[in-house]
Amino acid sequence: MNALTVLLAPAGDQFGAPTPEELFNLPPIIPGVYWFTKPVLLAMLSAVLVIGVTWAAFAKPKLVPRGVQNAVELGYMFVRDQVARPFLGKDADRWMGLLVSVFFLVLVWNLMGVVPVLQFPVASHIAFPAVLALVIYGLKVYLGIKHQGGVGYFKNMMFPPGLPKPIYFLLAPIEFLSNMIIAPFTHAVRLFANMFAGHMLLAFFSMVGFWFLFEKLTPLGAPVGVVGVVMTILLTGLEIFIQYLQAFLFAMLAAMYIGGSLHPEH
Amino acid sequence: MSAQERRPENDGRDFADAMWSVPSSLLAGMAIYGGLGWLLDRWLGMSAFFPIGVVLGVVLGGYLVYRKFGR
Amino acid sequence: MTMAATLLAQEEGANPLIPHTYELVVGIFSFLVVLFVVGRILVPRIQKTLAERTDAIEGGIKRAEEAQAQAQVLQQEYRDQLAEARQEAARLREEAREQAAQIKAELREEAQAEARRLVEAAHAQIEADRQAAFAQLRAEIGRLSTDLAGRIVGESLEDEARQSRIVDRFLDELESSNAQAVR
Repeated sequence: MNALTVLLAPAGDQFGAPTPEELFNLPPIIPGVYWFTKPVLLAMLSAVLVIGVTWAAFAKPKLVPRGVQNAVELGYMFVRDQVARPFLGKDADRWMGLLVSVFFLVLVWNLMGVVPVLQFPVASHIAFPAVLALVIYGLKVYLGIKHQGGVGYFKNMMFPPGLPKPIYFLLAPIEFLSNMIIAPFTHAVRLFANMFAGHMLLAFFSMVGFWFLFEKLTPLGAPVGVVGVVMTILLTGLEIFIQYLQAFLFAMLAAMYIGGSLHPEH
Repeated sequence: MSAQERRPENDGRDFADAMWSVPSSLLAGMAIYGGLGWLLDRWLGMSAFFPIGVVLGVVLGGYLVYRKFGR
Repeated sequence: MTMAATLLAQEEGANPLIPHTYELVVGIFSFLVVLFVVGRILVPRIQKTLAERTDAIEGGIKRAEEAQAQAQVLQQEYRDQLAEARQEAARLREEAREQAAQIKAELREEAQAEARRLVEAAHAQIEADRQAAFAQLRAEIGRLSTDLAGRIVGESLEDEARQSRIVDRFLDELESSNAQAVR
């Protein structure tokens, strides 16, 4: 990225690649209300959107689905068959409420990144994925202690059966760190980093296109601008896929953690 | 523990479990034993234990994943 | 690469890995609202509907299966009944045939008995008639003979006893002469 910027900078007069500072540190929408920034607005909008669409679909569900219900049911089925059932088995239905909420909310958060005008993935601010990951983490520990007992939970986690005795001494700290600290951290950071990087890339290429085709149109710069536009279009497609994929993975990991707490298998 | 019946869908669960616990186990191993080595280095004024710890951690993390899911 | 670059570039500015407090608050609230409305209210509704749909489909299949099973039972029943009826008919026919044969035999017996009886009666009648005729004939012959004899002899045979004696004698003579003639 920095290398690219250096290469391109001389071509356009004063082209500067967008810095994370510009892209992610956004000013308040209403001057003075410091907390009311674009991500906050979009987070609220996402919640309203998720509730609105789901309400339209499932408030009075029909036996034979039609219209919105059909579409949202597709999402519900996806979560049930790809996320809940593989990891929770017969407990899947009890956790569908949580998993559907998480999946839909994260999906809309992410998709905000490619919606024209809005164009900001909410999850690229770490606070939002962190909150969800924290809730899941709390639930995981709570369920683990509830279903396996306080001692049993940590014993099952840190002393997986089937290992030679002395090696436990070396492995137990790894298991603890991996399960209790790294897992929730990566849960949030994976989503955050993907959205952050995706937004950077999109912003960079669209900026290139805009700069070289509209701001400073030169014979030399025009092809670069075209490349920027083409890349923006291609990356938008890729980004939509990644946004969906990350929402799926986030929900899947949530299901995995819950399932692991309900039934320790190893 | 393994009293829980094995349904076919649990195979997918095992696979995903393994996939997700490989990096985090390796990372945890590195962090713990690398950190231990680093502390030891500082205490003894040496610089050998940190790399040893990191390598040991990776090996242990890999071994752990292998024993849990490899068979 | 992008990540590393941005993280490095970010070092001096606001660290993107440090969450803003107000975003945490907004995040948790919006999630809880979504969880409540979607997870608590709406998902149970769709679950109920999906269960009903499964029921409807499975119920339909089940009903069809039941109807088919019922039809099969019914068919089997009919087939059994038909077989039974056939057997019954065969049995009845056989019985009828036997009865008919028996009746025929009885009738023949009866008819033969009747015929025998009739023949015997006829024989008896004939015998009786013959006897009667014989007796009458004998009397007639006696009277004729006496008449004849009286006329020939010219002698009136008023006296009964004498008359009868003469007749008897005459008859005896007749009979013995008859017997001699037959022999």
